[in-house]
Amino acid sequence: MKRKSSYDFYLIIATTVVLFAISLISIYGMFYFKFAQIHQMAPPLKIAYMNRMNEVVAPFIICLILLLGICIPKRLLPIVWLHRITAILLTCVVVTGFISGVKAGLFFMLAASLVLQIIVLFMVLIGSKSLHFHKKGYWVRLGSSLIHLGLIIFILDLFLYGHKTYHLVLFWVTTGATILGMVFCFYAESVVNFVTGGKQVSEESLM
Amino acid sequence: MTVLLVLAIALAFSALLNLCSAKPLHQRVSTFILAAIIFAFMAGFLWICWFHWQIYLKMPLEVPIQLIDWINRQLEMMNRSSEYGLQLYNASSPPRYKIPLWIENEKYYFWFMCYGIMAFGAHFRVQSHRFRALLHLFLAAQVVILYLWVDPFKAPLPQFLNEIAPWHKADQSLMAKAGYFLRLYPKMVFYYNAEYMWFHPPLLFISYGAITIIFITSVFMLFKRDLAIEKMGYEYAKLGFFMLTLGMLLGYPWALKAWGPNWWWDPKICSSLMMWAVFSTYLHTRLYANKKTMWYFTSLLGIICFLAMIFTFLTSFYFPGEHTFQ
Repeated sequence: MKRKSSYDFYLIIATTVVLFAISLISIYGMFYFKFAQIHQMAPPLKIAYMNRMNEVVAPFIICLILLLGICIPKRLLPIVWLHRITAILLTCVVVTGFISGVKAGLFFMLAASLVLQIIVLFMVLIGSKSLHFHKKGYWVRLGSSLIHLGLIIFILDLFLYGHKTYHLVLFWVTTGATILGMVFCFYAESVVNFVTGGKQVSEESLM
Repeated sequence: MTVLLVLAIALAFSALLNLCSAKPLHQRVSTFILAAIIFAFMAGFLWICWFHWQIYLKMPLEVPIQLIDWINRQLEMMNRSSEYGLQLYNASSPPRYKIPLWIENEKYYFWFMCYGIMAFGAHFRVQSHRFRALLHLFLAAQVVILYLWVDPFKAPLPQFLNEIAPWHKADQSLMAKAGYFLRLYPKMVFYYNAEYMWFHPPLLFISYGAITIIFITSVFMLFKRDLAIEKMGYEYAKLGFFMLTLGMLLGYPWALKAWGPNWWWDPKICSSLMMWAVFSTYLHTRLYANKKTMWYFTSLLGIICFLAMIFTFLTSFYFPGEHTFQ
């Protein structure tokens, strides 16, 4: 378990608040769907309803993507540099958004997160000691990196919804990364036993 | 079911005694009754498997030979306008129902059986007699629900049997038979025989079982700071989250195949995403549970997670949409 007052803690609280807001919007959407009898409407009206709900939820999804983008570099950088890089990233997003639209800004943030997360994954794979993880252990870190990579690709995949070929391929990549990540993260001990054939393992690889 | 009910009442009685008592009472007896309930559940599940196997063997959709060409022409026409086509009728191997073991009333049976097996595991991992009593009370309540409202043995698969009853009526005209076939066959392919049916629902029901255990540990954590129970709750949370995430992900390509793109903002999808969000928040805040306020906040989130699960399940009854049971 961790100490409360950390950068991580505040990011988690912020994420919780955004997720709570999205949940409230979802509940509103559910009741609206029932009482406005959306299911009995013609397809164009249904699509109009979906677009309206997308507009309502969009600011919170933007916040979630920005939070995700802020979360990723914390594995790579010490706290002083983290603030600077976060500020640079956010500035780039705002500038890109201003020049090419909000979608492009968010796409930039996701692409930057993807690149950073791939670097994190690579460094975890080679066993780098310079990463900033609260959790110790090779397999737990690998699992955590894969879950976050899966999450980024999933959101990125939603941007590619129109491209049917890439969409499903990327979806299965997301599913694979998330499942492997959860297995490594949640069942590190069993994974180590499986990999080493049940031999005695060091404390570091499990913790 | 009557055997299960009698055992559940005995377990509930023992649980109530233990809940009110400061010392553990009749622990061996309650362990024995719990094991008997699990055994009865599994025996019942085997019967359900056998029943479905009989449906597969004895209820093929066999079409009179004069209709085959006409039906295949209709199917070819339907396939032209759809992305995922239906296989043409083949007289040497007529389509057969491969009904999953977790639809209609059987879904409750499977869900509660999963909870029972998990409660059995939790029973041996934690020594607190009050905690065990809570686990037993929940199981007993679930058996009572099964017996009173959703008994899968009293009226097995009522909706399915209702759907196919006209097909088996004697003295039907050929056109009526063809009409029934064209109504039953697509539902058989895209619903009853869908390969995703064997993954998406059962994974979710396993996660529902795990979330019920998390709820009990969270309620217990509100009253007592017991690290062993919190740790055990986390073990079930990991399993539940794993199953929930995998189950939800596997629902995505199925939804694209069955409904096309227009299912975002469907009430069930909204509530499921909400439950997943609450669950992932619970797993994250749990990292800080060593702090007193966060201990209680985490417990509260565990309880909200269970309420979100109940809400998500009931959504199918109350809200219209693609997942509706109405």
